[in-house]
Amino acid sequence: MLPEIPEGVVWSILLLPIGSFITILMVTRPYPKLSGYMTVGTIGLAFLFALWVLDSVIASDGQALPFQSHEWLTINSPVGHDLVVNLGLRVDGLTAIMLLVVTSVSLLVQVYSQGYMAGDTGYSRYFVFMSLFTTSMLGLIMVDSIVVLFVFWELVGLSSYLLIGFWFHKPAAAKAAMKAFIVTRLGDVGLLLAIILIWVKTGTFDIAEIQELAVAGLISVNVLTVFGLGMFAGAAGKSAQFPLHVWLPDAMEGPTPVSALIHAATMVVAGVYLIARMFPIYEVADDARMTIAAIGGTTALIAALLALVVVDIKRVLAYSTISQLGYMMLALGLGGYVAAIFHLLTHAFFKALLFLGSGSVNHATNTFDMRKMGGLRKVMPWTYATFLIASLSLAGVFPLAGFWSKDEILSDAWGEQQALFWVALGVVFLTAFYMFRAIFMTFEGEYQGGEEPEEEGHGGDPAHPHESPWVMIVPLAVLAVPAVLIGFANINGGVEHILAGALPAETREGLHEFQFNWAIALGSSAIAIAGIVGAYLFYGAKVLSSQAVSKAVRPLHILLERKYFLDDLYEGIFVNRLLLGGAALLAWFDTNIVDGVANGVAGTFRFGGSGLRLLQTGQVQVYGAMAFAGLLLAGGLVFLLNPL
Amino acid sequence: MSNELNLDYTLLTPEFCLAGLAAIVLGIDLFAPQVRKEWLPYITAAGLIGILGLSLGWVEKESDFAGIIAVDNYTTFFRVFFLATAAVVVLMSAQFVRDRLKNPGEYYALLVVSTIGAIYMAASRELLTAYISLEVLSFSLYVLVSFARMDPRSNEGGLKYMLLGAFASALLLYGLSFIYGSAGSTFYSDIAAAYAGGTESFDLALLMGLVLLLAGLGFKVAAVPFHMWTPDAYEGAPLPITAYLSATSKIAGFALLLRLFSSAFMPVIDDWQWMFAALAALTMVLGNLVALQQSNIKRLLAYSSIGQVGYMLMAIAALSSGTASALLLHMSGYVVTNLAAFSCIIAWYNLTDKEEIADMRGMAERAPLLAAALTAALFSLSGMPLFAGFFTKFILFQAVADEGFLWLAVIAVVMSFVSLYYYLMVIKELYISKPEEEGRLQVPLSVTGLTAALAAGVFYVGIFPRHLFEVAQEATNLLFV
Repeated sequence: MLPEIPEGVVWSILLLPIGSFITILMVTRPYPKLSGYMTVGTIGLAFLFALWVLDSVIASDGQALPFQSHEWLTINSPVGHDLVVNLGLRVDGLTAIMLLVVTSVSLLVQVYSQGYMAGDTGYSRYFVFMSLFTTSMLGLIMVDSIVVLFVFWELVGLSSYLLIGFWFHKPAAAKAAMKAFIVTRLGDVGLLLAIILIWVKTGTFDIAEIQELAVAGLISVNVLTVFGLGMFAGAAGKSAQFPLHVWLPDAMEGPTPVSALIHAATMVVAGVYLIARMFPIYEVADDARMTIAAIGGTTALIAALLALVVVDIKRVLAYSTISQLGYMMLALGLGGYVAAIFHLLTHAFFKALLFLGSGSVNHATNTFDMRKMGGLRKVMPWTYATFLIASLSLAGVFPLAGFWSKDEILSDAWGEQQALFWVALGVVFLTAFYMFRAIFMTFEGEYQGGEEPEEEGHGGDPAHPHESPWVMIVPLAVLAVPAVLIGFANINGGVEHILAGALPAETREGLHEFQFNWAIALGSSAIAIAGIVGAYLFYGAKVLSSQAVSKAVRPLHILLERKYFLDDLYEGIFVNRLLLGGAALLAWFDTNIVDGVANGVAGTFRFGGSGLRLLQTGQVQVYGAMAFAGLLLAGGLVFLLNPL
Repeated sequence: MSNELNLDYTLLTPEFCLAGLAAIVLGIDLFAPQVRKEWLPYITAAGLIGILGLSLGWVEKESDFAGIIAVDNYTTFFRVFFLATAAVVVLMSAQFVRDRLKNPGEYYALLVVSTIGAIYMAASRELLTAYISLEVLSFSLYVLVSFARMDPRSNEGGLKYMLLGAFASALLLYGLSFIYGSAGSTFYSDIAAAYAGGTESFDLALLMGLVLLLAGLGFKVAAVPFHMWTPDAYEGAPLPITAYLSATSKIAGFALLLRLFSSAFMPVIDDWQWMFAALAALTMVLGNLVALQQSNIKRLLAYSSIGQVGYMLMAIAALSSGTASALLLHMSGYVVTNLAAFSCIIAWYNLTDKEEIADMRGMAERAPLLAAALTAALFSLSGMPLFAGFFTKFILFQAVADEGFLWLAVIAVVMSFVSLYYYLMVIKELYISKPEEEGRLQVPLSVTGLTAALAAGVFYVGIFPRHLFEVAQEATNLLFV
């Protein structure tokens, strides 16, 4: 047992990536190798400190370590609340688990990036952005104030924008980056309003204080419901929940290690973290909680269905991520706080592994299109083996990590909401099916030739695929270990104990006691295996034809191919018609209607032949007239609102 | 109130110095040989900075000149504010004026004179003095907007601005006469005293006065529906003057509004609060939505600044000591950000002669520092954390919500979100599109330095809003006694 971690060391977890960010930006940018090593070194050290944090938190039974908040901005108000923004750390069981996930996956992804990004012209820039991301993500999970959390939350979004658009000369990447930024910030509108609301009602930004007030019943349930839904809007944006999930598949245009780190293991779970952090509020605000459960269930189902039809391996994984995030939200909504975070933990490892595996495949074949792959098992044994392990884990096959966490979620759902339980069970089948569809298409059968490299392509000759270099294989192998074993972490309730310690006592008592349910465990395993067999019949043995099925249910297939028409709805109707259309109408009114009238009038105001044609003279009068109309309107309102 | 008038002229020293500076600048232009004109902007800027230092001597002093001009922390704040803004605009103009405009002496002298007007708008404690200060600022601006005499757009913009400005002045004066008729005085304190015991149930003269006042001042700050001159004047004006319009002219209007409504009309707040709330909502929505449609960077910033005016008007609607200091903070952050943006745009225009958004494509490749600074400024305007815009907006919205205007805060947050869209469109051009021509552009060192300093200011306000906020609190705490 180590001594309890001093506050300075915890701060240094945050300061290390900041240091690397600044150093690369200012000093080592011309030396790409050095920049890469710097990033790996700092995050490695941060990982060690995160282990120390975990040790200290275990010693404190998961309760928050006694750190003081530091005053950063105080606005005294003679009436009402003082506005106080503090900079402080909240380090408890939940933080410790999140720190472990973020630092360990970051470390492995950064190592992997040394190989994957080798030779890219923006190598140093890549590590600048990565360090910025790591900083913001670590800040997000460690701070004790909801405003500072929001600051880091936005910075995470910003660095995600920069990283998705990393290859900004690719139009698709640029577009995806912008879409991601805008869609997630749409959710943030809700989050920001929630923060303003809770401050107006309670006068504090301190997370622990808000929790205490909520469980003590000092904030009305209606306020908490609105607050909770506002926060969930933000969480739904970041964690790609229906109907804001549309940005995540497109975000796959970024470099694959970015997808593994940001869009699978860390940033996208920020929403889940936020809801878990505010869990005591949802225990009071039941309506908000049930909304989360319903949206989580919907997301899990619709995303899993989409994963059945896409042919881009990264997009399969992206939809799978959305679906699994929906799973976590579902668990949170049903009161399964421990199950959700446990699933977050296991998911981070196997999903990062899957993404890195897809990157390795891409390194060999230069494509993400599964129709151009096949037969890679023989030439890429390491990639294949680790990918298979991760897929089995994701499918929830005993005794891999995914089995344990999924089982807890299913048990919670069974106890709380039967309808959602059946949805969750259906998702188990779909998950196993689409993952093994991907495996059969990628690794089995005949090799379909890959794709010719573009100018800045990574990897070698796609005609002769080969295993990736060691710097990429080692992270895969290392990640495979937790993907198998991390599920056992909670077998004695260890994870549960420290997670529960992070909650106020009143909420802790209300948590479900996890009961291992043989029927659910066996049932869900059987369903997962059925999914695998199904995939084998279609894509392995090919005794069934997927074309025939998709023809048979053609309308459904089109619905899925067009992604439920949501992109068309958003872009075509919301953005183009309503927003831009409305804006165009206003702009037209603002300039043209006036101009139109003016030009008619203007004929009489022309200074013919003088060279200086005061074409717009009439316009001024119309402007004046409009202003006068505005004035009359205001005057009219005066009378209306103040009856004589 | 004024049996013993305090006629202490030393209180007005900074403004006397400004008038002197204007005369010197004009004189150099008239009498010095051609070569020396290169130095004019630097002489002017040095003079402005010197006077800025001088005006710091009145920190924590509280006095007034004959009851009509207050010299208190509020005045000192705006003295520093306007002098610094003017100095930056003068420096930004150096290359632009040398290459494109005639009569540099008049240009810089008018900038200096307009600053006097702006300062007295903040300092006035009497309606007519406030009005005259406003005209001093406006007349200088009418000339400056149409300063590019050979450019028809500049002429058109200037003429429109002047005609509509005259219209607004008429409304304003008419409103002032109603107020005088109702309250019996033009001194802010007497007006407050006249209404202190409450008004009759329906005081038509007061209400008409307020409506007209609002319309007149609405013109000056470009509140919807009194904003129509803005895009034309912004587009037509020489670029540094566009920057000046978006900074000093606008902020001076708010400085006047804030002092007037907090120290004269606070007792009748119920009569005008809703007017400002309605104006704020309209202004935010229209400014931000129409900005989505703009293809010219000056027009885009014109509409985006209209949107910003909407946020600022909320603070007047929800007027309290909390919102007042939040407003000062937000205005400071906004001006630093806007000047940073304009500094990049001016530098780009000097190098390429382009001001359409589409023509900025590939700026990242040709002038990386300008592109980075412009991006920082645009992120700040859209309210991203780390940049000035986040905390200044956050504190402002929070203060407004706390005064019971949650619905306005909701509109403001949604509109901030919308604004992200058009700022990102610009950023996309800077970074993603290929440049029309190849090759790095040589940005002059002085421009690089100024831009970097302003960008650093954007981060400074964003990360340590506390320092500026404390100053803003000091500046406003006397308004509400």
